[in-house]
Amino acid sequence: MANQFTRSLSHLFLLSALLMGALSFGAHAQMQMDHSSMAGSKPKNMCQSVGLECANAATPFFTADGKLLLSWTANGVVSVAQSTDLGKSFTSPVKIAEHGKSLDAGADARPQIVVDKQGNVFLAYAFFKDANWNAQINTARSTDEGKTFTLPVSLVNDGSSQRFPSVLIKPDESIFISWIDKRLVAAAKQGGEKRLGGSIAYSFSQDGGQTFQAERFANESSCECCRIAASLDPKGIPVVAYRAIFTGGIRDQASQVILEKGSQPVRRVADDDWKTDACPHHGPSIAVSGSGKFHVAWYTQGSKRSGVFYANSSNQGISYSRPSRVGTERANVSRPYLYASGLQVWLVWKEFNGSKSAVYLKESGDDGKTWTTPKILTSTAGYSDHPLLLARANEVFLSWLTRDDGYQLISIGQKQ
Amino acid sequence: MKRYWLTLLTSFLLFFASLSLADSASLKPYQAGDWKSIIKSANGGPIAIHFWGVTCPACIKEMPQWGQFIKNNPNAKVVFIQVDDVSQDSMKKMLTKAGLDKANNYYIAAPFDEHLRFEIDPQWHGETPTTITIDKNGKATRKTGLVDFQKLQNTIGTRS
Repeated sequence: MANQFTRSLSHLFLLSALLMGALSFGAHAQMQMDHSSMAGSKPKNMCQSVGLECANAATPFFTADGKLLLSWTANGVVSVAQSTDLGKSFTSPVKIAEHGKSLDAGADARPQIVVDKQGNVFLAYAFFKDANWNAQINTARSTDEGKTFTLPVSLVNDGSSQRFPSVLIKPDESIFISWIDKRLVAAAKQGGEKRLGGSIAYSFSQDGGQTFQAERFANESSCECCRIAASLDPKGIPVVAYRAIFTGGIRDQASQVILEKGSQPVRRVADDDWKTDACPHHGPSIAVSGSGKFHVAWYTQGSKRSGVFYANSSNQGISYSRPSRVGTERANVSRPYLYASGLQVWLVWKEFNGSKSAVYLKESGDDGKTWTTPKILTSTAGYSDHPLLLARANEVFLSWLTRDDGYQLISIGQKQ
Repeated sequence: MKRYWLTLLTSFLLFFASLSLADSASLKPYQAGDWKSIIKSANGGPIAIHFWGVTCPACIKEMPQWGQFIKNNPNAKVVFIQVDDVSQDSMKKMLTKAGLDKANNYYIAAPFDEHLRFEIDPQWHGETPTTITIDKNGKATRKTGLVDFQKLQNTIGTRS
């Protein structure tokens, strides 16, 4: 009797073990699916391709001969294509890298692309390299005008995290790159210090991005999840703007001049008093005009002001004008972007009214003293990227990637 | 001999049970239009909806505290929504580690953009972590950054 009981018990165990095994195998298969494809429980309306039509971010660059190079990220793939008809049609894209769900596709992440006068292309992007969400910046180059690219290589040799590359090409063809670097924060944590955020690191390359100087830090304390804005002053010197962390965990905007010999002092753009540990994913924009004036636009939820704002500085950031609101108060305003030439300044941003996202423009002809009334350039009903500004010779363009209405390259003005 | 088999089977059983437990976090897709039904699920009672991201350091730091809160308040209505475009496997790992694998978990299944956020709060630009608390009178409060769990306890807690 007892034996029989034990036997049925062991049968029961065997059955349960098999059942659990099957269940566990099922769960494992599900995990594998999540890795290998977007299928499964994903809704049907998701854009699945790696083409521009499914991109989450696209970055443009005009070559010296007026060709448009566009780099984008879509479903884990970084691609580049070219257009000779201002974005109406593109050559078949070149795949630079494939990282699947590890590609940094956050709201403020975008591939960086610059081209020198000979047509050599330099590209940078970030992806998550390990299970602890440490990121790595990879760079790739092309010496045949973007037809083929080198295999991507890591920008720096460091085990911690590097993210949000921001790239400029200087008139002397040297490349300036800045990024958010977490090695100082990681080291502080190892020493038992409780610290959030990252640092602003930078480097220069004199050979088209093949090699870079040893990296240096401009500011040891910055937000870890916001894009860095960068612009060249009339002498070709990079000026960056970013969300710094000031004493007391205040995440307000700073600007900083970066000379080849080293970074200049951190200058606060405005006292917004945004005390937060959160990730805003919403970095600023900067444009230095022909007079050397810094024009900065940014987003904040500070205790002293909340929304999108603009200010300028005539003294290298030592002092800034009183911030003025960008866009309609209480509207959903975001993603400001600036472009300057001579004394002309263009400022675009996004406003969402509950059904459509519109790009607004206002411009100044007197170095930011007075501005035109904002006007709508274009709008879209679906997903859209940040609005960006760039110029081809004397013509200024809005670059805007939209899911429903395609990639938009719209002429918005002439340099005088 | 029988005892030997029994022990072996028991260990098998425990092994598989623990395996399947590790992967037991279930995630539902969240899409535009889902906000109303999430609010309705509270039946007029207080509810907290916590938006977090796998790649957000402040969120990772706070998640175990949410796990503790749920443990202390098993009947509190809390919904977790993961907003980053990452693999479900990585979301599940983090939830399991924080003791939130059995919580009411969602992930954003469309671009996490202004369209998706508008019905939640037109003024919210997607900072993470963000917690929206709706008290018993239906008043919604949005808090960006780390949560004051004592305050949360007073609003939606169920511990007597």
